[in-house]
Formats: sequence, C-alpha cells, structure tokens
Amino acid sequence: MDDKQLDHLLKDAARTYRVPPSPERDAIWAHIEREAFVGPDRRHLPGWRIFATGVAASLLIGILVGRMTMRLGSEVPFARNPIALTLTPVERSAPYQRATEEFLGRTALLFAALPAAGSREGTNGQLSAQASQLLTTTRLLLDSPVGADTRMKQLLEDLELVLAQVSRLPTPRSSAELSLITQALEERDLVPRIRLAVVDLSGNEY
Amino acid sequence: MQITQVGSPWPVEDERSLIARAAAGDRVATRVLYDTHVLRVHRLAFRLCGDPDLAADLTQDVFVQLFRQLGTFRGESSFTTWLHRVTVTTALNSMRKVKRFREHEADLEEAREFTVNGGEGDVDPDVRDALAAAIDALPESLRVALVMHAIEGYTHIEIGAALGIAEGTSKKRVFDARARLRTVLAIHREES
Repeated sequence: MDDKQLDHLLKDAARTYRVPPSPERDAIWAHIEREAFVGPDRRHLPGWRIFATGVAASLLIGILVGRMTMRLGSEVPFARNPIALTLTPVERSAPYQRATEEFLGRTALLFAALPAAGSREGTNGQLSAQASQLLTTTRLLLDSPVGADTRMKQLLEDLELVLAQVSRLPTPRSSAELSLITQALEERDLVPRIRLAVVDLSGNEY
Repeated sequence: MQITQVGSPWPVEDERSLIARAAAGDRVATRVLYDTHVLRVHRLAFRLCGDPDLAADLTQDVFVQLFRQLGTFRGESSFTTWLHRVTVTTALNSMRKVKRFREHEADLEEAREFTVNGGEGDVDPDVRDALAAAIDALPESLRVALVMHAIEGYTHIEIGAALGIAEGTSKKRVFDARARLRTVLAIHREES
C-alpha cells in the first residue's frame, strides 16, 4: 500500500465514508430559535468567582490529601538509597508522581486564574506562555510511564486540548474563547478529575 | 472584485454586515447565516460522530452557542474559522459526554451503515469497508485531523485554528494517521 493508492482510497472515502443524511433544517432551526432567542437566558455562565473559589479549594484539598497519603505510604526515605539500581518501585515512581502532582497543581492554578484573563494588560500573554509550558509537560508526561495509566492518560489528553486553547488565547481577552474554554472544563469535569488524580497518585506506581 | 472567505459564499463585507445585523437581533440575518453554514457544520459533525441524531443535536448546539456569542465575535479571525472551531469543540465535548465516541461497537456498526457505494468506481467494497473501519479505529486526535483534511478538505491552517494546535502538528497527525491506515490496509490485503 503506497501513498498514491491510499490517496485514491481516501478520495473514494470523501464520497462514501459516513455520508450524512440531509439535515432537517427547519426542525433544527426551530430548536435553535427556542434555545438561543426565546428560552431562558443561559448566557451567563456560573460566576467566575464561585468557579475559581471551587477550583482553588478542590486543588488545595486534593494536593494536601495526596501529599499526606504519599508520605505515609513511603517507608524508606529516598536519601537512604542513593544507587538507582537498588530503588524500590515506589521510589522509582516518586519522580513521576512529584512531576505529575506539580503539573496538575500548576494547571489547576492556571484554570483558576483564567477569570482574570485580559483584565490587566499582559495577563493573557502570561497565561498563554504558562499554558504553552504546561502543554509541553503534558506531552512529556503522556510519553512517560504516567501515560500508561488509562485514566491518567485520558485526563492528560483532555488537559492537552484545553491547554492548547489557553495557549492560543487572544489578546485582548475574548469572551467567546473564554466561554469555549469554560465549557470544555465543565463538560470534561476537569477540575474534579484533577483533584481525584492528585489523590490517586499516591496509590500508583509508574 | 469581491473577496470571499474560504467556506463561505458571502463577500467578506457582506458577511460582516450579516454578523453585525444578527448580533443586533435581526432574525432574518441569523437565518441567512444559518442557511449559509448549516450543511457544512452538519456534515463535519456527522463525519466526526457517525450518528444522525447526535449530528443534528451537535448542529443545534453549535448554532445556539454561535448566536449567543455573536456579540463577542470581534472579527479577528474569519467567521468560518470561528464557526469550525466551535463545531469541533462542541462535537468532541459532546461525543465524550454521551460516551458514544468509539467506545461502543454498536455505534461503530451504526456508523458504517452510512458508508455508501458510489465513490471511485474501481474500489473494492471490502477495501472500502476496511478503510472505514481503520479510520474509525484511529485515536481521536489522529482521526479528527485526518477526517478534516483528507475527507472534508480542510487545510492544515484551518485544522490548526479549529483544534487549537499548530499547523505542523496537524500535518504530523495526518501523516501518522495515514501511516496507520497504510499498515492496516496492507494487513487486510495480505489476509484477503
């Protein structure tokens, strides 16, 4: 199978793969009219202040519980085993746990800071730069043993998508872009999942 | 000479005027915008999810969001770029939410019902089905990029804007998707 043959098949697929039935335009339009113009005004997303407070509280609890659990579960201090080859699985996993924990914490803080995006000059740029750094970390973690855990992998992939959106946040602030990011955060339950992941980290060995 | 945007039949100025009117509450303008873009939005939604009911729901959701946020559209990017971004984001979020996305075999089978004949005349139907199955089996990120580029004809710049990724990343994803398809189809050829 060479490129030319594949091109030919994909050209065929453009006409045959998942060919959509005709949409019921008027029925769809009627629904849009009800939702967008007539229905209850849902334009206002949950208050950013409440959302941010929830994020911060969840993060704090999650990290505290995660760190306490990890310390309790670690019987041997790392300093006693300076030779890498003699490290136990728990010790080998520790750097990944710490890196992931730190990454999740920074990501949650970034999400908490989003409401202020664009309210001060340069804020968007800073957030975008942080998001780009976190995006790089996300991809590194996905390729690390952390990515072998299915649930963590899904979380990282979802975070990758949102961080990519934040990294491209336009300056000045765009309400439309922020709404999309908020929607992605809420629909993917990212904040509760970050909290759970931090708690779970102490129980995993990568 | 009039300048039109990619994917839109309207000259840029006309579309800006339409958007301004729609944002101001002109219902006729919103309907014109809807009629102009509904087929492409619905087609992309269906290509991504493979479920007619879900595609109709996604189309509704996209336009509801679009019209609610129309007042915030500043025209920094093209309207169609913004529209496709909303479409892809809504589609991916909703498909995850209803857990229909590639997780249930029944859904894949249902999606394949919409693989039809009538394409290139010399393509073996078995190979066509194998390709459809191979596309369905791709990881989400590769599949979305491939479907948008190779099936729907989006440029890598448009895909990058819609997915929030760099143009090069889009190219890489399509390249990887094609490599996987070539492998799967080669195995299929050997087996048959």
